Amino acid sequence: MSPPLLEVRDLRIRFFTEDGEVRAVEGVSFDLQEGEILGIVGESGCGKSMTALSIMGLVPEPGRVTGGEIRFKGRDLLSMAPDEVRDIRGKDIAMIFQDPLSSLNPVLKTGFQVAEPMLAHQRADKRRALARAVDLLRQVRVPAAEQRARDYPFQLSGGMRQRAMIAMGLANAPSMLIADEPTTALDVTVQAQILDLLRTLNRETRTAIVLITHNLAVVAGLCSRVIVMYAGQIVEEGSVFDLFERPQHPYTWLLLRSVPRLDRTRPERLRSIEGLPPDLIAPPPGCRFHPRCPFRIEPCFTEPPPLQEVGPGQRAACWVTMRRAHEEMGAATLLDVRPGAGSGVHGPIREPHRG
Amino acid sequence: MRWRGTLLYIGQRLLLIVFTVLAVSSIVFIGIHRLPGSVFVSERLRASQMQALLHQYGLDRPLWEQYRDFLLGLLHGDLGISYVNQGVRISPLVGREALVSAEVGALALLFTIGLGMLLGVLAAIRQNTWLDYLFTSTAVVGYSMPNFVVATFLLLVFAVFLQRATGGMLYYQIGWTGTFGSLGEISIPAFALGFPYASVVARLTRASMLEVIRQDYIRTARAKGLPEQLVIVRHALRNALIPVITILGPLVIGILTGSVVIENIFGIPGLGKEFVQSILNRDYNIVVGVFTMYAALVGIANLLVDLLYPLVDPRIRY
Amino acid sequence: MGGRPIAITTFIAEPMAQRRAGLWTDAWRRLRRNRLALVAATYLLGLVGVAILAVFWTPYSTTHQGIVLPYQGPTPAHPLGGDSLGRDVLSRLMEGAQISLLVGVGTQVVVLALGVPLGLLAGYFRSWLDAALSLLINIFYGVPDLLVALILIVLLGHSGLGQIIFAIAVTRWMDMARLVRGQAMSLREREFVEAARSCGSGTFKILFRHLLPNALGPIIVQATLGIPQAILFEAFLSFLGLGVQPPTPSWGSMAADGVQAIRISPHIVLAPTIALSVTLMAFNFVGDGLRDALDPRQRR
Repeated sequence: MSPPLLEVRDLRIRFFTEDGEVRAVEGVSFDLQEGEILGIVGESGCGKSMTALSIMGLVPEPGRVTGGEIRFKGRDLLSMAPDEVRDIRGKDIAMIFQDPLSSLNPVLKTGFQVAEPMLAHQRADKRRALARAVDLLRQVRVPAAEQRARDYPFQLSGGMRQRAMIAMGLANAPSMLIADEPTTALDVTVQAQILDLLRTLNRETRTAIVLITHNLAVVAGLCSRVIVMYAGQIVEEGSVFDLFERPQHPYTWLLLRSVPRLDRTRPERLRSIEGLPPDLIAPPPGCRFHPRCPFRIEPCFTEPPPLQEVGPGQRAACWVTMRRAHEEMGAATLLDVRPGAGSGVHGPIREPHRG
Repeated sequence: MRWRGTLLYIGQRLLLIVFTVLAVSSIVFIGIHRLPGSVFVSERLRASQMQALLHQYGLDRPLWEQYRDFLLGLLHGDLGISYVNQGVRISPLVGREALVSAEVGALALLFTIGLGMLLGVLAAIRQNTWLDYLFTSTAVVGYSMPNFVVATFLLLVFAVFLQRATGGMLYYQIGWTGTFGSLGEISIPAFALGFPYASVVARLTRASMLEVIRQDYIRTARAKGLPEQLVIVRHALRNALIPVITILGPLVIGILTGSVVIENIFGIPGLGKEFVQSILNRDYNIVVGVFTMYAALVGIANLLVDLLYPLVDPRIRY
Repeated sequence: MGGRPIAITTFIAEPMAQRRAGLWTDAWRRLRRNRLALVAATYLLGLVGVAILAVFWTPYSTTHQGIVLPYQGPTPAHPLGGDSLGRDVLSRLMEGAQISLLVGVGTQVVVLALGVPLGLLAGYFRSWLDAALSLLINIFYGVPDLLVALILIVLLGHSGLGQIIFAIAVTRWMDMARLVRGQAMSLREREFVEAARSCGSGTFKILFRHLLPNALGPIIVQATLGIPQAILFEAFLSFLGLGVQPPTPSWGSMAADGVQAIRISPHIVLAPTIALSVTLMAFNFVGDGLRDALDPRQRR
């Protein structure tokens, strides 16, 4: 197997706020192969967007990458000079954002904004870049592309805007595209079109895609491999089939249960996950999910579980794993998913010594 | 087709300007002609001479007749004759002075916006550094300094201290030589005129820049790999300009107002100097004429500002 | 009929009053922490003291000429020197402070008397009254204020202090009216006004007992920030020779006098211009400080 396009190792991002240091991302590691579509899933605030922004070198103030490596084609982006990173940004790695209206500049014409990455990286003359921008718009199926290129973003529909964003990302034929919630702000029908477009692009241009979303249906339809993040850490990773069929982390399992599924004959009761994501200034000791986990056991309160192999190509960070939860705690028939409901453990037996 | 709406809009606005000018000058004309006493009381004349003068200027006729003639003249662009400098026609005089005032005012506006935006942008992108604190506090001081104080300090520096220090090499002549001022003659008055408003613009630009720089499209621009200068100039500045444009109207009025004082300090033969002179001389025909001219200038300047809007913010169309 | 509504009103009014008291103590606490505003306020208090003192006593006469040599620079007996007619600059500066403060505060009194009732009525009743006021405000914003003030002074006949104050107030009332109108418009929808209305309180009582006290904070800030504008206007007018008439000293006319002599004795122009700038700045600092203290949400 050829070396991965992107290797992230032990990434750490902190936000230095007045209330304290927010540990937004802690010890995240993953690979992205060339031409692959990788999904990163999690609730808002779990660190998935920050992970993506750190690859671009765009972590906003007061945040900082405090450790780890991000190797792109073997070179560490974090130890590069700002100008070198800028050279890769928009050329080899492109990124598209959640809300295409606020992400496009309201006072510049759409065509120019699509052409801008070419002007920045290829020393192309403006006329040729604008002509190429129209081609790109056509390629992402924008009807009447010449006319649309002359329009301002506020004159386009939501779907058109996101297509323009994608065209902008593709301008320099990047080897990797990061899409941060690309369909969240769009109508359901338009969502499907945009996802279809991303899939086609991946097939035709072999552009690797990192898709960041909280929507599991989007992941199921598009990705080959999925990473699930919780409270700044990866809790589970695997192929999309394994993960959806045999989730091993209770968090993944609960996430999947909270999604209505049309392919199930007997509809289960829809349930959300009890409790709130933890405060990342002072995250809970042990497994960060234990305050909300129905299957927690004593070690979960004190020992952080490592991300370890739970099947071929599947890893999870859990002391229990769903295999055991099913066998010993009857997870499949469990209706009550309150913390500790499956395992009956409501706290560490031995209170930790203080002082 | 695209321009038809704009042309229609301009037409409507011009009509409004004409109406406003007529209304304003009428109010001032009637108000002034109802003042007790006549414009010639200060001149020592025999009763018969006074009568002759009043008759010559038509001031012995009923007010409504005078007003009718004034209106008719105004519609032809004729503002009548000066009482004090007898026989001088007001329209060409005031027209020439309006150009002078507009020249100084335009340069002052350039100073205001250029300097104000530069300081505002620098303060914003260096937020919470000594540069930011320096500019922000300078802005507060500048905002509190009347323009004649700024003018006085500039005069002190250029006409007094620098003259002494350089033995007259950088001599700055107070006063005006030609019909139009050279850049050397108008730049210092224009600076004094614009400086207090530059502080206002700087404060506004800083605030709107800080707002803009947090927007998603700035992140997009950075994600494209644009150099930071281009992100600021092309993507942030254009958007930060929008709120600044909205205060351009009051700004233009403020500069016109301030020019009354500045022209009197620097001896600039513009509308402002004429205005004060004619009030002091009780040359009321000129007072009416200058005020009419000011009303027209304000109207036209505001129209130009409004026409600027859609150029900066494409979401606005007329 | 008589007893119950009153009981309800007091029941509602009491927590309101308490909340308001809390607001003022909070504001005072925040203001005390604002060093710049405190220094500025201290300066202004001193200035008021000087102005009051000048009513009874100045080191020398403010109008007698030839007390010092004309254009005399600072000496121990005359710390700020003499002006072009040999009058003591310090004495004139003191009386000038009195004029500036009188005009500044006097103008705001007129502005309050004009703007508050107009704004309250327009904001509370809306309808044609509001439309008319908005139109009037827009017309006044559209004309150059100094020119209007100048014309007014001409029309009022050259000028005592009263005329000057009136002329300035006529060009300065719009900010206050617009502010009060906005406040009244948002407050009229609040529960306590509705309660007062349903209890049968008269319109006058609702406006001045319920709306006005709750809009007091912004009004105070606006009036404080309006004072330096009025002072600046008086200085403009006097600088042009159309304000306070000689020999009464005003900082504006003293500056105009000094500009003529800027080459030979700059102290004549520096004294009033510096005094004017520092005073304007102090008012702006206090105004900004009050705004931050009374409305912490607006802080930048």
